[in-house]
Amino acid sequence: MNREEIPGKSPEEMYIQQKVRVLLMLKKMGSNLTPSEEAFLRNYAGVVHSQMSQLPQHNIDQGAEDVVMAFSRSEAEDRRQ
Amino acid sequence: MCSSVLVESDGRMKVEEWQHSYHGDSGIQSGANTVREDDGDYGTSKYTTVTTTTVSSEYPEGTRQPSCAGNLDAQYTLTRAQRMLKVAIIHLINYQDDAELATRAVPELTKLLNDEDQVVVSKAALIVNQLTRKEASRRVLMQSPQVVAAVVRAMQNTSDMETARATASILHNLSHQREGLLAIFKSGGIPALVRMLSSPMESVLFYAITTLHNLLLHQEGAKMAVRLADGLQRMVPLLKKSNPKFLAITTDCLQLLSYGNQESKLIILANNGPEGLVHIMRNYNYEKLLWTTSRVLKVLSVCPSNKPAIVEAGGMQALGKHLTGSSQRLMQNCLWTLRNLSDAATKQEGMDGLLQVLVGLLSSDDVNMLTCATGILSNLTCNNAYNKTLVTQGNGVEALIHAVLRAGEKEDVTEPAVCALRHLTSRQQQAETAQHAVRMHYGVPAIVKLLNQPYYWPVIKAVVGLIRNLALCPENQTPLRDAGAIPRLVNLLLKAHQDAQKRGSSNQQTYQDGVRMEEIVEGCTGALHIMARDPVNRGEIANMQTIPLFVQLLYSPVDNVKRVAAGILCELALDKQSADLIDKEGASSPLMELLHSSNEGIATYAAAVLFRISEDKNTDYKKRVSVELTHSLFRHDPAAWERVSSAAPCWPPQLDVAYGGYPGDMGMDGMMEPEMLPEEYQPAYDRHQYADQY
Repeated sequence: MNREEIPGKSPEEMYIQQKVRVLLMLKKMGSNLTPSEEAFLRNYAGVVHSQMSQLPQHNIDQGAEDVVMAFSRSEAEDRRQ
Repeated sequence: MCSSVLVESDGRMKVEEWQHSYHGDSGIQSGANTVREDDGDYGTSKYTTVTTTTVSSEYPEGTRQPSCAGNLDAQYTLTRAQRMLKVAIIHLINYQDDAELATRAVPELTKLLNDEDQVVVSKAALIVNQLTRKEASRRVLMQSPQVVAAVVRAMQNTSDMETARATASILHNLSHQREGLLAIFKSGGIPALVRMLSSPMESVLFYAITTLHNLLLHQEGAKMAVRLADGLQRMVPLLKKSNPKFLAITTDCLQLLSYGNQESKLIILANNGPEGLVHIMRNYNYEKLLWTTSRVLKVLSVCPSNKPAIVEAGGMQALGKHLTGSSQRLMQNCLWTLRNLSDAATKQEGMDGLLQVLVGLLSSDDVNMLTCATGILSNLTCNNAYNKTLVTQGNGVEALIHAVLRAGEKEDVTEPAVCALRHLTSRQQQAETAQHAVRMHYGVPAIVKLLNQPYYWPVIKAVVGLIRNLALCPENQTPLRDAGAIPRLVNLLLKAHQDAQKRGSSNQQTYQDGVRMEEIVEGCTGALHIMARDPVNRGEIANMQTIPLFVQLLYSPVDNVKRVAAGILCELALDKQSADLIDKEGASSPLMELLHSSNEGIATYAAAVLFRISEDKNTDYKKRVSVELTHSLFRHDPAAWERVSSAAPCWPPQLDVAYGGYPGDMGMDGMMEPEMLPEEYQPAYDRHQYADQY
């Protein structure tokens, strides 16, 4: 395959970009990475740099949302004083 | 000394009683009104005539009495007895006189009250009013339906202020006894009195509201009659008056009418009742008024329509003003009302003072106070970062932990207290501070202990959520482990999962104590997920043979369960041994499916697990993962590819277009459908043309 004539990525490129992206998202979500994953990110620093701006800005996993407690279900008899 | 007296059949007994015990003021000397008793019962006995003789001295007439001191004392005692007897007799005579007079006058007075001449009516009303001030005559009047009806008629037809005042006063006087209340009720007095609530005369207003109050308190059927006469619509505007005692009676009327009656509550709302009531709480100091008003607000606070109106009117702040006073009953009413309102007040501003007071109340030993304070704090910190920060900075964490420790098994306190701690430990600027504070105030063991049996599921749910947040702080991981959180969470997860599975086939929701078991599964897995960030915890979790269960949870129909299951597998897969075990459990298949989830968290965790378990796998497998990712997690993100490909280092050309499950003649570029690309990224070639060359 003549790469100059065919623009696009090889499967390996795709794989690496995707892995960089997933690892960056994991870090953003607070998860740990293995030493080899950290090394992977260091190796492909260029890819990391360009991917950083593509990450979603919102928090992806903050756990369950707060929920109100409904107390006003019934009236209690009120002793007149 | 002889006296002829007119006594009731039990009159002799009454006289004797008075002789022995009568020390009060009959009014003969002072001119004071007769004392009216609410439940006085003099009966309707016949009158009889008796002649009695009373000896005033022990010595016969004409004999000289000894002049020593003992004789003087005796004389004094006898004189005093005579005096008391005289008073009693006069009292009886007056009573009888009043009764007789009234009885004779009733027909004539009735006629005069019905006269066409308003001057006549006015004078008659004055006379009747005088008569109602004495007990005997009042009794006679209330036993005459004709005269009461005439009074009612005169009151509602007159345009003369004095007549209105006198007739209102008559009804007011009659309303102090049940017979009188009944007479008013039967004579159609309620609609007439309700009309009087629009009177410009303060005295008429006072008589009308007080009479209605007595009717509402003691007359059966009065509430319905007042409602039918549009009494609420007339009473609510009276909240603008400024006399505290008048307002106290008015608010009490509103409470009597609205308790347990939804329609009445809506009428109060429609007439701006919440604003008027909140205004009173904000601006008055009279304790009884504040108490009666707080009772109305408490009744309205369970109404879904009134609740937001009270909150919007500033009800939370106004009620909060009265939590530090000396009136216990007022404080408690305000707390219950605030608790009822709190779920509608999560977005309210200006809660600073209230929150501070509530944190202070957490040191109380009164269980009702604790129940209310924790409940209000839990709701006011719900999804409100500002309030969370305020409470954290105000030592709320420490106070809540102490409340949990003191509450023991009182779930009405522990559940909201733990919920409040859960809120404080996430989604706010001071979340980390709160997470540290729980540990520093020795809260971790107490919180983990709440996971013990007997299980009260709402508390369990709150606690696992709190543990999950606490585990976000690395310094908390060891204390949580030392307190035994992991085995407790795993056991709860197993139990909840089994319960959910049992009912799963019948498609029923599994609720216990109002909590779905799927929520417990999600909560426990979520807590274990975060705890697994610690390597020692990770090993302990894996050693409990939990991986098969987590893989099974990937098939859950509940997105949240899938997310936390994929999350914990992602953490466990950091260890090679666990990664192999995850792969052996057949996790690849469900994980590939999860790549297509619309939930970013699920897809990301699934991708991460696949990357980790595919480390040792062949290139085919890795490409398949990549292709799946392209069609799932990154399907809407083509710009990223083009932008970064130029930044990537040069790859060795190892194109291999034929791999399992995909057509051999399809190049990699064909994996992206043209319509998925933005216009500027349309391929400039025909993919089939080039593929044929290889």
